[in-house]
Amino acid sequence: MRSTIPLVLTFLVGIFMVGEYFIPHWRYHQWTAVLLEWGLILAAAAFLLGLFNLVQVNLPKVMNKEEDWGYKLVMLVSLVGTLVVGFMGNTDRLSDGQAYKWLFDFVFVPLNATMFALLAFYIASAAFRAFRARNLEATVLLVAAIIVMIARVPMGEDLPLIGEKLPQFMNWIMDVPNIAARRAIFIGAALGAVATGLRVILGIERSHLGAD
Amino acid sequence: MKLDTLIKFQNMDRRWIFLGMGIAILLPLLFPITLSFNIDERVQSLYDSVEEVPAGSTVFISADFDPASRPELEPFFRANLHHLLRKDVKFVAATLWPSSPPLVMPIFEEITAEYGKEYGKDWCFLGFKDGKELAIKAIGENIPETFPTDIKGNKIADLAVARSFKQAKDFAMIINVSAGFPGTREYVLQIQGQYDLKIASATTAVSGPDYIPFYKAGQLTGLSAGMPGSAQYEQLVFPDGPREGERLMATQAVNVLNVGHLFIIVLILLGNIAFFVTRRVEEAAP
Repeated sequence: MRSTIPLVLTFLVGIFMVGEYFIPHWRYHQWTAVLLEWGLILAAAAFLLGLFNLVQVNLPKVMNKEEDWGYKLVMLVSLVGTLVVGFMGNTDRLSDGQAYKWLFDFVFVPLNATMFALLAFYIASAAFRAFRARNLEATVLLVAAIIVMIARVPMGEDLPLIGEKLPQFMNWIMDVPNIAARRAIFIGAALGAVATGLRVILGIERSHLGAD
Repeated sequence: MKLDTLIKFQNMDRRWIFLGMGIAILLPLLFPITLSFNIDERVQSLYDSVEEVPAGSTVFISADFDPASRPELEPFFRANLHHLLRKDVKFVAATLWPSSPPLVMPIFEEITAEYGKEYGKDWCFLGFKDGKELAIKAIGENIPETFPTDIKGNKIADLAVARSFKQAKDFAMIINVSAGFPGTREYVLQIQGQYDLKIASATTAVSGPDYIPFYKAGQLTGLSAGMPGSAQYEQLVFPDGPREGERLMATQAVNVLNVGHLFIIVLILLGNIAFFVTRRVEEAAP
């Protein structure tokens, strides 16, 4: 019974939601809209679940002073601190002078931007080590990468002799081989998603119920 | 050059590369150079699709980016708001990214104030909605039930600009400023085809190639990718250059990319030369 009820529910809801694309009746859309709303409420509840899970996993490690407990403490204090100032600010939390806005502007923004900016340095290092023309495939990749890299910036367009042709060649790379490969991946992935969806709806795939 | 030196060069401490990259970024910031550039067909198409929106109509903006992608997308976001507001187009905005509201709200307030636009009448911000693809589907189906209130807690029925729009298809167009998931790809997959929506996208350089097939298939009316895309859009919106006391952020920053890209290309070429010389010497050795 523990697995039969979720399987029946998955089947009914799955078939019903797919039906929306084939039955353009307003009443049917009203019902699917209700189910969508339930889905949004469940997604918001998952946020809370994540919050409790984070505390449940990390708090005991801090209490027992396990490895890296200091970092976990910082994380928990940040979590609680942000929550408290967010609730205190209520709908004004984004106004200037509010603690939540200050935390966002002067802690979150610099940290988030710094993490992403570091990519420029790691990409330069990785490109130097990995881009070697070891075989034909690697050479094609290398040449395409250099053309796209140079043609994407104004400097490429100003190069003597090839400057005019370079953006055209880059556009050809992006519009022809790039699209051909991506469409193949998209269509393959979409067919895979349809197959997985059908397996879940028909109860063949049961891993989401905790079974193998 | 000795073989040892070439091998050492290939395995050099990555901190030298970091230092070089730092200098390559810093130099054009300290000594700006301005090079002209052409407008990409996809960016031109985006600009044209916004131009086609009639004055007085309303568009839906989905501002799905965070501080990490801000340098690439904020210049587009700002230029796009100027473009819409000076055409007297109204907008309803929302986001699917939790870190977006504190970032975009001050920009909305600053630029709408410049044009004397009134909150609730000419524009509104519905805030963040979790649910990813589900939220997008819900935007396609029923906006008032998905966002019963705006970010300030006002009921959507009290906002003149938003109350007459029930579904995404009721808007003149959708502009998605997208840094990844959930974003443009999910808008196209979940609702573009079903409701035949007019969607334009501005995205990061890394996501741009992913969305070109959508543009080519007519599922996106325009596409701006990364800093170069934002710079080109700025050039279209401000053909006479920035206004007094202002800067075109992407137009300035795109020239920084020149030296950064050049540095990486030189590194790759030198690395390959060292690799081939080393391999030839090793193969020739008895």
